[in-house]
Amino acid sequence: MSGTKPDILWAPHQVDRFVVCDSELSLYHVESTVNSELKAGSLRLSEDSAATLLSINSDTPYMKCVAWYLNYDPECLLAVGQANGRVVLTSLGQDHNSKFKDLIGKEFVPKHARQCNTLAWNPLDSNWLAAGLDKHRADFSVLIWDICSKYTPDIVPMEKVKLSAGETETTLLVTKPLYELGQNDACLSLCWLPRDQKLLLAGMHRNLAIFDLRNTSQKMFVNTKAVQGVTVDPYFHDRVASFYEGQVAIWDLRKFEKPVLTLTEQPKPLTKVAWCPTRTGLLATLTRDSNIIRLYDMQHTPTPIGDETEPTIIERSVQPCDNYIASFAWHPTSQNRMIVVTPNRTMSDFTVFERISLAWSPITSLMWACGRHLYECTEEENDNSLEKDIATKMRLRALSRYGLDTEQVWRNHILAGNEDPQLKSLWYTLHFMKQYTEDMDQKSPGNKGSLVYAGIKSIVKSSLGMVESSRHNWSGLDKQSDTQNLNEERILALQLCGWIKKGTDVDVGPFLNSLVQEGEWERAAAVALFNLDIRRAIQILNEGASSEKGDLNLNVVAMALSGYTDEKNSLWREMCSTLRLQLNNPYLCVMFAFLTSETGSYDGVLYENKVAVRDRVAFACKFLSDTQLNRYIEKLTNEMKEAGNLEGILLTGLTKDGVDLMESYVDRTGDVQTASYCMLQGSPLDVLKDERVQYWIENYRNLLDAWRFWHKRAEFDIHRSKLDPSSKPLAQVFVSCNFCGKSISYSCSTVPHQGRGFSQYGVSGSPTKSKVTSCPGCRKPLPRCALCLINMGTPVSSCPGSHSVTQDRMQWHDLGSQQPLPSASCLLGSGDPPTSASQVAGTIGFRPVALAGLELLNSSDPPASASQSAGITGMSHHAQPIFCNVLINRK
Amino acid sequence: MFVARSIAADHKDLIHDVSFDFHGRRMATCSSDQSVKVWDKSESGDWHCTASWKTHSGSVWRVTWAHPEFGQVLASCSFDRTAAVWEEIVGESNDKLRGQSHWVKRTTLVDSRTSVTDVKFAPKHMGLMLATCSADGIVRIYEAPDVMNLSQWSLQHEISCKLSCSCISWNPSSSRAHSPMIAVGSDDSSPNAMAKVQIFEYNENTRKYAKAETLMTVTDPVHDIAFAPNLGRSFHILAIATKDVRIFTLKPVRKELTSSGGPTKFEIHIVAQFDNHNSQVWRVSWNITGTVLASSGDDGCVRLWKANYMDNWKCTGILKGNGSPVNGSSQQGNSNPSLGSNIPSLQNSLNGSSAGS
Repeated sequence: MSGTKPDILWAPHQVDRFVVCDSELSLYHVESTVNSELKAGSLRLSEDSAATLLSINSDTPYMKCVAWYLNYDPECLLAVGQANGRVVLTSLGQDHNSKFKDLIGKEFVPKHARQCNTLAWNPLDSNWLAAGLDKHRADFSVLIWDICSKYTPDIVPMEKVKLSAGETETTLLVTKPLYELGQNDACLSLCWLPRDQKLLLAGMHRNLAIFDLRNTSQKMFVNTKAVQGVTVDPYFHDRVASFYEGQVAIWDLRKFEKPVLTLTEQPKPLTKVAWCPTRTGLLATLTRDSNIIRLYDMQHTPTPIGDETEPTIIERSVQPCDNYIASFAWHPTSQNRMIVVTPNRTMSDFTVFERISLAWSPITSLMWACGRHLYECTEEENDNSLEKDIATKMRLRALSRYGLDTEQVWRNHILAGNEDPQLKSLWYTLHFMKQYTEDMDQKSPGNKGSLVYAGIKSIVKSSLGMVESSRHNWSGLDKQSDTQNLNEERILALQLCGWIKKGTDVDVGPFLNSLVQEGEWERAAAVALFNLDIRRAIQILNEGASSEKGDLNLNVVAMALSGYTDEKNSLWREMCSTLRLQLNNPYLCVMFAFLTSETGSYDGVLYENKVAVRDRVAFACKFLSDTQLNRYIEKLTNEMKEAGNLEGILLTGLTKDGVDLMESYVDRTGDVQTASYCMLQGSPLDVLKDERVQYWIENYRNLLDAWRFWHKRAEFDIHRSKLDPSSKPLAQVFVSCNFCGKSISYSCSTVPHQGRGFSQYGVSGSPTKSKVTSCPGCRKPLPRCALCLINMGTPVSSCPGSHSVTQDRMQWHDLGSQQPLPSASCLLGSGDPPTSASQVAGTIGFRPVALAGLELLNSSDPPASASQSAGITGMSHHAQPIFCNVLINRK
Repeated sequence: MFVARSIAADHKDLIHDVSFDFHGRRMATCSSDQSVKVWDKSESGDWHCTASWKTHSGSVWRVTWAHPEFGQVLASCSFDRTAAVWEEIVGESNDKLRGQSHWVKRTTLVDSRTSVTDVKFAPKHMGLMLATCSADGIVRIYEAPDVMNLSQWSLQHEISCKLSCSCISWNPSSSRAHSPMIAVGSDDSSPNAMAKVQIFEYNENTRKYAKAETLMTVTDPVHDIAFAPNLGRSFHILAIATKDVRIFTLKPVRKELTSSGGPTKFEIHIVAQFDNHNSQVWRVSWNITGTVLASSGDDGCVRLWKANYMDNWKCTGILKGNGSPVNGSSQQGNSNPSLGSNIPSLQNSLNGSSAGS
């Protein structure tokens, strides 16, 4: 702390004040600026705090060290150690009528002048001040002063004379210290040990020494170089830190022989080491010429008994400002807060954050722990400013029954939120595929149906070399263009693209009308034009311009269109081919591209990426020759696969290519939901056997489980088993015996004819009938019906009791019935009270072992409705008692 | 838009870990006060502490839930060199009536001779398995052969990592195409420039874990590591918290191309690297789909990262560790002019940058 390098100190009691000292002492007041503007004249310390200068004291030149008086009163009393070894008490307070006023200006003078290195107030006896001095021959280097002591008798107190500033002689001189220690040595650092008022730890020239003031002739010492900056851990009074050059040593005073720990050496010498006063085991260190403060987090309180393991230390570094740091000071009470000062006296106030640990919950909320506090952070529900994450999207889509509309397949994209053009294209494609498969099957029950799901790529391939081009007349124009004769395959392709409807009729009229209705005039016009009907195109554009939402510029486009001329070198052609690139709408753009193109080269249309794939493919089917078409489709397919663009499903269909495409879509988006539902549509094909598809389905079911969407999961399983007969839902309820905990179904699975299962027991009177009413494991009887007290498994016909014998087939008794129980519903964790139940027939103390959906044991049919399939994953024998209520409401 | 609210945690010391169960309805926290607390979410969405008990005789570093298929089971690890498995007891008791749950210790795993720094249950499809790692550089994999008996755990594998381990992460993929895999990070701070992330893979033939990859580019101490939920992707995503946030993708090279039997080869790309936390990054966590990454660092902020359709990762949100909104001025906290205080708590696409793969 030379005159150039400022030091900084927090007031021990007035927690909003601090002092910066270099050649003078400046007292600052810290204010929060969270709710107010920065005041004029104050310095900004951080985002939400600022400091105002309260006073400056330059009474004490040649300052070497400063220590703040620890008592509350008088405020702002500081001891200043000077270069000549004198210690001066000075004040920055405005409070001049204090009774302690006579303390201010008091000086404590050593016998021989030498530099004062350190000062320390005794924390218990607040009037004791220890000063550490340089060596002077055989003189003492540690002097302990009592600031309240009367003036020493050998020096006659002079009159209180106000002297002019800068004068060395002062008014109140004390020359007799309370104690003198450390003879023939130098003292570099000092601190009082909090466990006893009379113990002083001093870093001497070559050793660390503990002086006991009760017996000043003895001292405990250990030889070490690490004698600078001794400081006691405020939370653990036997732990002391000191440093030497770049190395910090941690000492345990109970085994003082050697440091318990030395921290990693820094390349530059250290200038300050300080324990955090608000948090256990946090030590901050500062090296010279550096802008970072290194923190050592000692997570474990040391034990005195020989613990060989090194305590874990987490090293961190923080960078409070960009400049070099001259000094820092921990705030005495604010959690982990410190203030730093740079050589040019800019200050900044900042807080060392604890390491934050965090975790995402499955329902997109984030929880984190900072220090001792927990924070939960949730996404606001109705916020449209950000695109939602796929996790949120899938959740919402699952709730809106996305993917489950198997009749109007295209409606699924509306269920998905009607916002993603790729999904729209996908579900329309699947819709058309489904429609035409059914169509094909009706016409010829061959294997054509599967061809539809194989996508346009396969369809086009199968028709190779069968098409000849011919010239078609433009309607209403005296012009002819080359188009392809449409064979069956190409018609099918166009149908899949949605341009033409069912039947042999090759008419795009209905499609145009639907486009016009949806307000897609540009697209409609383009389609009309591609069907060589320029009048219709113009008419559509006019319609668009005149409608409410339409763009008036469409009229201009229509005008331009009507000026079409076939002449090669006309001005119209020239202008159109240059100006079309400035059109914003891709469909308008391709219209002119088409009109200005040479016959047979339609690259301007085919490679316009903004035009929907289905329109480009339909265009290609109409205008390209077989080889060209094949090449184009091939190229486009690869492009789509690469990009994972769902529009490409139109081309690949639900084939292996389609799975490849879907794979890159899933890789890109993580949307396994769409992938699962989409692939299930292709059930007649082999795609479902693809490992990847199975994996997507598994992952999606897992997601639904994590969200506790049991009903949705059951619906999905039903949907899946409908479309994919090979995937039977697993046995979803297992019942375990109350006594031995073994699964009752366990023995069942050992029966060779598993399909018949328990039906062998029970009614038919099989040889194993004796086991029916008891657990196969421990032979304890199975639970009884609460009404008739008949054990489970007893033939139904013999069940008397209040439930009528004739109709009330209490199938619960007959565990082996092949049918799932229509009237039994298991309320496992679903949370819905049995409101509709007219009778609660039995409360059976079964505990399902591992549930996944709800279906009664061993029944091979899928449940008839989702309500029976309300399931649960994760309820188990280990926790959460479950009551399995059998409800009979068939009265 | 994210909104943060504070929950009275009532731990007596620093909280070291937060963990959700499979459904996100229960939460466990562990702390330096040597205790673990279990929290249940009420219907109204509030969290209530339903159990709090002393688990170890040292700071508890991590706590983790088993898949609910195995019951309500927790594992914790501590500075006291042990890891422990806890199970909730079912039954009517006074505790139950007071809305408290009762947890009993099923086993203590005492194999480590140093602080156990991380504990993680294996993905469900592997059965009831548990991996721990310790400061002496050994990863241990335990298995409960009988899922009904949680007091018996056998030490199946010991993998020596040569470096003090700080964190582990199982690859969550349940695809048959991917063998079980575990990534280990080290916070060894000695200046040697060794790679700090190693990935081990189970070899069906030798029935041992063998090193599959070492991320040579990560040489600074690693504080946390997390595989993203796989969700049907053909590759794995690994987030690493070191002096910056890094995201790697590991794409398995198709089996046909590699010699059979050996470890899977991976094409490893670094897809993002962010130093916005200015200094050390402490934790990383993926959301359920592996599409949003949250990270926390020495700047006291929680940052959210998300990839756009071009696979460019960007920062999509910043939240201060104390839940307060992030003000407009920079994190450095020096004398910047005031930019006003009514800036929303979440700044979109702030400071986002990403490294090309």
